[in-house]
Amino acid sequence: MKNNLKSMKLIKCLIAVVIALLVPAALGGSSYLCLIASFVTIYIIGASGLDVLFGYSGQISMGHAAFYAIGGYGAGLMSKYLGIPLFISMFLAAAIAAVIGALLAFPASKLKFHFLSLATIAFGEIVYQMACHSPNKITGDFNGFFSSKLSIFGLKLDTNIKFYFFGVACVVVFLLVKQMIVKSRTGRAFVAIRENTQAAEGMGVNVRKYKIIAFAISAFFVAFAGSMYLGLVGYLHPDMYLQKQSVLFVTMMLFGGSASLAGPVIGAISIEIILEGLRTFEEYQMLIYGILLLVVIVAMPGGIVGAARDIKAGFLRRKAKKQAGKEVQ
Amino acid sequence: MLKTDGVTIRFGGLVAVNKVSIHVRKGQITGLIGPNGAGKTTFFNCISGVYKPSEGHVIFDGKNVEGLRPHKINEIGMARTYQVINLFRKMTVQENIMVGMHTRLKSNFWSDMLHLPNQRKEEKFVREETEKWMEFVGLQDMANQQAGSLSYGKQRLLEIVRGLASDPKLILLDEPVAGMNSKEKEEFDALLRRILDLDVTILMIEHDMKLVMGVCDYVYCLEHGTLLAEGVPEVVQNHPDVIAAYLGGDE
Amino acid sequence: MKMFIQLVIMGLALGSIYSLIAMGYSLIYKASGLMTFVQGDILTIGAFLGLTFYRFLKLPYIVSVLLTMAVAFVIGFLLEKGVIRKLLNKNVMAIYIVLATIAVSYIFQNGAQAIWSSKVEYFPTVFKTDSISILGVGVQPESLLCVGASLLCMVLLHIFMTKTRVGTSMRAAAMDPMAAESCGINVSMNTGITWGLSAGIAAVAGIFIGPMYGVYVTLGAKIGTKGFAGAVMGGYGNMYGAMVGGLILGLVETFVAGYISSDFKNMFAYIILIVFLFVKPTGIFNEQAIQDV
Repeated sequence: MKNNLKSMKLIKCLIAVVIALLVPAALGGSSYLCLIASFVTIYIIGASGLDVLFGYSGQISMGHAAFYAIGGYGAGLMSKYLGIPLFISMFLAAAIAAVIGALLAFPASKLKFHFLSLATIAFGEIVYQMACHSPNKITGDFNGFFSSKLSIFGLKLDTNIKFYFFGVACVVVFLLVKQMIVKSRTGRAFVAIRENTQAAEGMGVNVRKYKIIAFAISAFFVAFAGSMYLGLVGYLHPDMYLQKQSVLFVTMMLFGGSASLAGPVIGAISIEIILEGLRTFEEYQMLIYGILLLVVIVAMPGGIVGAARDIKAGFLRRKAKKQAGKEVQ
Repeated sequence: MLKTDGVTIRFGGLVAVNKVSIHVRKGQITGLIGPNGAGKTTFFNCISGVYKPSEGHVIFDGKNVEGLRPHKINEIGMARTYQVINLFRKMTVQENIMVGMHTRLKSNFWSDMLHLPNQRKEEKFVREETEKWMEFVGLQDMANQQAGSLSYGKQRLLEIVRGLASDPKLILLDEPVAGMNSKEKEEFDALLRRILDLDVTILMIEHDMKLVMGVCDYVYCLEHGTLLAEGVPEVVQNHPDVIAAYLGGDE
Repeated sequence: MKMFIQLVIMGLALGSIYSLIAMGYSLIYKASGLMTFVQGDILTIGAFLGLTFYRFLKLPYIVSVLLTMAVAFVIGFLLEKGVIRKLLNKNVMAIYIVLATIAVSYIFQNGAQAIWSSKVEYFPTVFKTDSISILGVGVQPESLLCVGASLLCMVLLHIFMTKTRVGTSMRAAAMDPMAAESCGINVSMNTGITWGLSAGIAAVAGIFIGPMYGVYVTLGAKIGTKGFAGAVMGGYGNMYGAMVGGLILGLVETFVAGYISSDFKNMFAYIILIVFLFVKPTGIFNEQAIQDV
């Protein structure tokens, strides 16, 4: 029975991948729509990275835009000044972000929710300020940072469609890694810390160590997403890394549902579509978005995945009741 | 197995535990009794590394362990349960026990991330072991239920096996039968015996005098953070100070 | 020396704004254990409201201030009753409450832009003279007003909290909600009033800062985030600590801008915030109310 469930899940995932691969065709090969679809792949990796941190290990970050920036600028600077191919420097930048994340988590791991969110906000703002006022203006400051687009060992991803397929491949790899980690001793330690830190420590889990690991993984994911953005657009501006960006990651994760594989994916897709759709309202975009967000928070605090789970549970309960009723008769 | 030597714990000016020395012998059930607020749980927290004693030593298996972090204490073979149930509520019964096995497993972050062959082998072992532990306390039918949804008594049992899953030499039980129904309570002596059979020594805080008198080999009584009496159950039970403390506590 | 005096006055003026914002944070945290991310945007709303009453409706300055405070109080109160309380009753994860306040801040920011303007509006001066002389240094009188009025607000708030019945019951409710409830105090009403009060002081901060910085949509956003540094420095939850923390932050920022470079003033504020959180999360006054750390 368990194997059955497992293969069911596998089939669902495969179907999702096939659908993802058909998206450009469905969009009629429109370059603009494929750009949006590529952004979605980037955000899926970002939101999933945050999910490792918040959904599983229970630590909040309201400053993940910082890692997004470190990924983007890091990859760009390394390829520009050190001549490392962008595709390689993307991984290097993500690794650097993971180290920075670990260093941040070392003191931050003793802070609880509210104060951790303040610390991460402060970290986010510090990185933002560094992007704005960099030494020797290496980030281009407010003029922005330009870079060549991504090419992988000579294969140029010069159209949005090509990048989209690369994005999907990245999503598959990163989500696979996420699932592997989550379904293991490390992942169980994360959830144990989230559920009851005191008991986790009592059961031999080195709480600080695992909190740091979660931060590092999460930073790696988000920074890689940031470097993908650079590879796609070829341009960065400090104002992309305002606090709003951090909030966007949190929103995507929660909107879909945290601590799940599908949640951040659904969240990233739906929020990106909503924001694109609201673009027509121009100056009222944030107003409508804010109201929508508020309504969703009040109406379904478990996200889409949580709401679906509730509906399913309610359905099963009713079914069980019916059955019990029949048996009594 | 476990010795404490003049353990004192102060919070600010308040002395919660005052020069307590006990000795838990291997293969025995040692009881720790005393009225509410006597400092029993504080003392437990000190042994298991939550607090560092202000003075005195905790000697486990011949080594000084005071001041070690709780996860280290668990690693060297001491497991515990809590007075207020501290399960991972949203994890399943099975997963709770799996976390209990944490220190026995060797997989690290990289082998976890890549699901390397030795990690897979270990995970298989984890599942088999978990199965065994669920059967040990009769929770095998609830493997996939959330721990928070179990009855109080079942939660206590789960907490105990979660502790046992780390393969400890000593387990500290903090009021293990509180919240159990009468049937579960009756079966509890037998469970304690089976734990002893696994070569695990027991130190237990308990209010249920019938249970304490029935199963304990040796009993310590604590009041106002000070050791009032010690000895075999009958001796402690009839000790005038203990009687006074309990009657006094009832007033 | 001239520059020094000028920086001190500018620093105190800015610092008193941070103090007012930080006090709001501390009041709310003490009363409900929550953090809000709308304080800054209420400051913006307050500045625009003040602008409306004073510049457009030509009401007397003091009346404008009082009216703004009253409107902001209602906004804060309704925010608690309509959003925060609803979420608390649903027992949601704390993150949702944080996110809800952020959503409200988006609504306020964009709403202010829709109602008023997306440009920097000038706030008419309150006094006839442009500059008065202190120790031979010319100073904008509004910055002195800012310091003076903020101090007055703090004193009034102190008197309100310690000497009035409502204030006393609010402090009781913050200390032990259950016990207060059993003494017949309406705890839910009290947290509502706390949110209202916090909004009120944030809004007047907006009026005070208007003549110095101009009024625009994102005026409060930065101040709101930096206000956290003031609150943490003084010990989060400690009203008096928040005042001191805010003033120190204002002075540090102004001096960094004056003697080093204005490029680094924001960074300094956030470095202070993060260092305090990591090294001394209970703040200068060692606030013990922080159960969260």
